[in-house]
Amino acid sequence: MTIHVDGRQVQIDPNAKNLLEALKEVGIEIPNLCYLSETSVYGACRMCLVEVDGQLVTSCTTKPKEGMRIKTNTPQIQQLRKGILELILASHNRDCTICERNGSCKLQEYAEEFGIRKVRFDQLPKPTFFDASSPIVRDTSKCILCGDCVRMCEEVQSVGAIDFAGRGIETRVSPAFEANLSETECVYCGQCVSVCPTGALYVRNDLEKLYEALSSDKVVIGMIAPAVRVALAEEFGIERDPFIAERLVSFLKLSGFSKVFDVAFGADLVAFEEAHELLERLSNNERLPLFTSCCPAWVKYVEQFYPALTNNLSSVKSPQQALGSVVKKVYAKKLNLDPERICLVSFMPCTAKKFEAEREEHAGIVDLVLTTKELSQFIKVSRVDLKKLEPQPFDRPYGVSSQGGLDFGKSGGVLSSVITVLNDQVGIEEQRSIELEKGIRQIEAKTKDGRTIKGLMVFGLANARKVVNDILEAKLSVEVVEVMACNFGCVGGGGQPYPNDTQVRQSRSKQLKELVSVKSLISPTENYHMRKLYEEVHDLHELIHTTYRPRKRIVQEDVEVLPAPNGEKLKVKVCLGTSCYLKGSYRLLSQLIELAKRRDYSSVEIVGTFCLENCDHSPNVLVDDKLVGEANLEKVEAEIERQLQKRRVHDASQTNV
Amino acid sequence: MERTYEAIEQVLRKYNYKKENLVKILLEVQKLHRYLSRDVIHYVAVALQLPPAKVYGVATFYAQFSLKPKGEYTILVCDGTACHMEGSTSLIKAIEEEIGIKPGEVTKDLKFSVDCVGCLGACALAPAMVINGEVYGNLTAQKVKEILRSLRGDNDAQKSN
Repeated sequence: MTIHVDGRQVQIDPNAKNLLEALKEVGIEIPNLCYLSETSVYGACRMCLVEVDGQLVTSCTTKPKEGMRIKTNTPQIQQLRKGILELILASHNRDCTICERNGSCKLQEYAEEFGIRKVRFDQLPKPTFFDASSPIVRDTSKCILCGDCVRMCEEVQSVGAIDFAGRGIETRVSPAFEANLSETECVYCGQCVSVCPTGALYVRNDLEKLYEALSSDKVVIGMIAPAVRVALAEEFGIERDPFIAERLVSFLKLSGFSKVFDVAFGADLVAFEEAHELLERLSNNERLPLFTSCCPAWVKYVEQFYPALTNNLSSVKSPQQALGSVVKKVYAKKLNLDPERICLVSFMPCTAKKFEAEREEHAGIVDLVLTTKELSQFIKVSRVDLKKLEPQPFDRPYGVSSQGGLDFGKSGGVLSSVITVLNDQVGIEEQRSIELEKGIRQIEAKTKDGRTIKGLMVFGLANARKVVNDILEAKLSVEVVEVMACNFGCVGGGGQPYPNDTQVRQSRSKQLKELVSVKSLISPTENYHMRKLYEEVHDLHELIHTTYRPRKRIVQEDVEVLPAPNGEKLKVKVCLGTSCYLKGSYRLLSQLIELAKRRDYSSVEIVGTFCLENCDHSPNVLVDDKLVGEANLEKVEAEIERQLQKRRVHDASQTNV
Repeated sequence: MERTYEAIEQVLRKYNYKKENLVKILLEVQKLHRYLSRDVIHYVAVALQLPPAKVYGVATFYAQFSLKPKGEYTILVCDGTACHMEGSTSLIKAIEEEIGIKPGEVTKDLKFSVDCVGCLGACALAPAMVINGEVYGNLTAQKVKEILRSLRGDNDAQKSN
C-alpha cells in the first residue's frame, strides 16, 4: 500500500493495524501515552494526532488507506501535542526527582522532548490514593488515566483486579471498593507495571533490606534467575555478553555476598522432578493435564479462578523455592550453619516472586526477592563498571546447570526441559511443535513405547484461561500445560527494566537462547551436582514438593441472610463464591431459608459467604465448624439436626450438673 | 435480607445472566434497598462472571447509582442555574438545620438523604426540590423545614398535643 507521509511517498504493510503502527514501520515514532499493541485501542491520550487529508485524527484509531496524505510534523500538530502534555502535567504529581520512574518515565521523556519549561495551567488538586500493600505499589497522584494497566489486566491477563472507577475529576484506577491490591484477585504478575507510562504503578523497592542484611552478621547468599542476566546485559549496554552472569557473580561477591548460586540449577531439579511426576500421573491416569507451577502468578490464578483444578498443578516447587529449600535445609547443614544465620537473596525478573517467597508455606526459605530493576540499581549506585569486571563462575554445588535449566527463562523452556528429561527416561522418537496462535504453542512427543504426549506452552493468562476452558469443555486434549503469566515468559516479567515491550522481550528471548545454546550440559539429567543431591538427601522429595489449595478471590464479610435472635446460635454459612454459585448454591440458600422457617429453627442463623476455599467440592455449606461439601438440602439438614441434637445433649448434661 | 437474594436472582434471570445487561440489572437491583451494597455488587459480579472492579466501576460512573444507603425519603435539591439564582443554597442550609445532613449524606435513622442535582427541569418553580419523585416548587427555607417536619411526622405529634 502506498501512502504519502510529510511529502514522501512510502510503502506500508497493507495489514498494518493502524496508522500509528504503519508509520513506525517507516521510521516515524508517533508519540503516544495510551497505545499498546497487545490490547484494544483506547484513543484517550490524543498525543498521537496526525493530519490526514487536511483533518486532525488520532493515528492509533485510524486505518491506513491507499493514497492517504499524512502530515505528522506541522507546527499546529506539535503545538497541540504540547498543549495536551501541559494539561496532563497540570494534574500530575511532578516530584520527578524522587519518583521510582525517574529516568524511565514516558511522560517525563515527552516533557523533555517538547521542551516544556512551564505549565500554563494551575495544578489541579484531585483526591489521590496510595497503596503499598503488595509487591505492586499504586500511587494515583502519578496516574494519567491512560488505562494501559486496566486493559493489560483485563484483556491480556484476564484478571480484572483494577478498573476505572468514578467519573470526571474523580476518575481513578482502582480495585473494587478502593480495596488494597493485597485484598483482590491481583496475581502480582506486574504486567500493569511494565506498561504504566508513569510512576503510578511500580514494584516495591526492597533494596534497603539488602543493605541491612549486608551490614549485619548474616551470611548473605545470592541466586540469579535465568531471565535476569539478559535484561541486565541490555540495561548496561553489553547485550550478547556471554559472560554476563559470571560478571554478575563477581559483582555480588565484591558487594559482600558469600556465595552466588544459579537458579537454573533449581530449574534442572524442577524439570527432572516434574518429568517423573508427569510419568507417574500418566501411568496412574490421574490429575491430568499436569499444569506447571513455576510461575507464581499462574499458581495464584489457578487457586482463585480454577480452584477445582489446584490438584492439576505440579506439586514440585518453583526453581526459586526448590533451590531455596535446598540451600536452607541441605547446604546449611553441610556447612554446619544455622539456617537462621543465612540471608538468602534471590534475583528475579518477576514481581510475583516477591509474593511467592512471602506465602505461608514458603516461610523462612527465601528471605529477600529483588527484581532485575533493583539489582540494576544496586549495581549503578556502586558506580562499578560491570563490563570491566572479571567473570567468575557460580559457586559449587548449585552453580551448575544444563541448557534445560537455563531455558526456563523464556516461554516454552519448562516443557522443553521436561521433554528432554523424558527423552532420557523413556526415549522420545519424534517431536513436533506448532504455534496454534500467538502465545499458544502445541507440542507432540512420541515415545519409544508408542505413546504420544501432547502438551501446550502458553504465555499470557487470558490465553491460559482460553486453553483451560477448552480443556474443561473437552475441545482440547493434552497431558501437560506449561503456563507463564507474562508475554514471552520470564524475560518479560514485571520486574524487568524498561522498556519491557514486545520488541525488547523478543530480543531478550533471542539472547537467552544464545546463552542456552553454548551450555555444555544439554539435559538436566546430565547435571552431576543435581544427581548427587538425589543420592545424598533422602527426604529430597519432601523438601521440594508442596501443595496448593483454593484461594478466596473476593474479600467480603459474611452477609446476614436469616439472622437468629441473640443467644446460642448455630451458624450455617452458604458459599456464594463462583464455583459454588455455578453449582447452584443460591437454590440451596433459598431451600435452607424455607427449611429454617418450616422447622422453626429459632437458633439457626443463615449467612452467605464468598468462598469457603473448598471449591473442588462445590457447593459447600459450613454448619458451625463442620464443612459439608457437595452439599444438598438433605445433607445440610442432617448436619443441622446432628449439631442441634449435640447441643441439646450438652445442655441437658449441663443442667444435670 | 432474606428476600434480597431471591429478588436479585429474579432480576438476573429476567436479564438472562447476560453481562451486557449489567446497567439494567444494577438499576433494578438498586430498587430493593435504594442503594447498591458491597455484598450486592459482589453477588452480581459473581453471577455475571465479571470482575468486581468492573461492576464497581460501572456503579461509580453513573450518577443514578448510589453506593451509600439512601433515606426512605430521598431529597434532590436542584442547584441548576435558575434555582441557584433563586436561592437553592438557603434550601440546602435549611435542610442541614432541620435534619442535620449535607448533600451526599443520609440521616442515621435512614429516614432522609439529600443530594444536589444539576437541573430538575422545573425552572419555572425555582427554587425547587424533588422528594421521592414529587416536585416541590417556589420554596423558601421555612417551607422546606415545614415539609421535612411533616414527612417526619412531627405535625401529627403537634396535632395530638
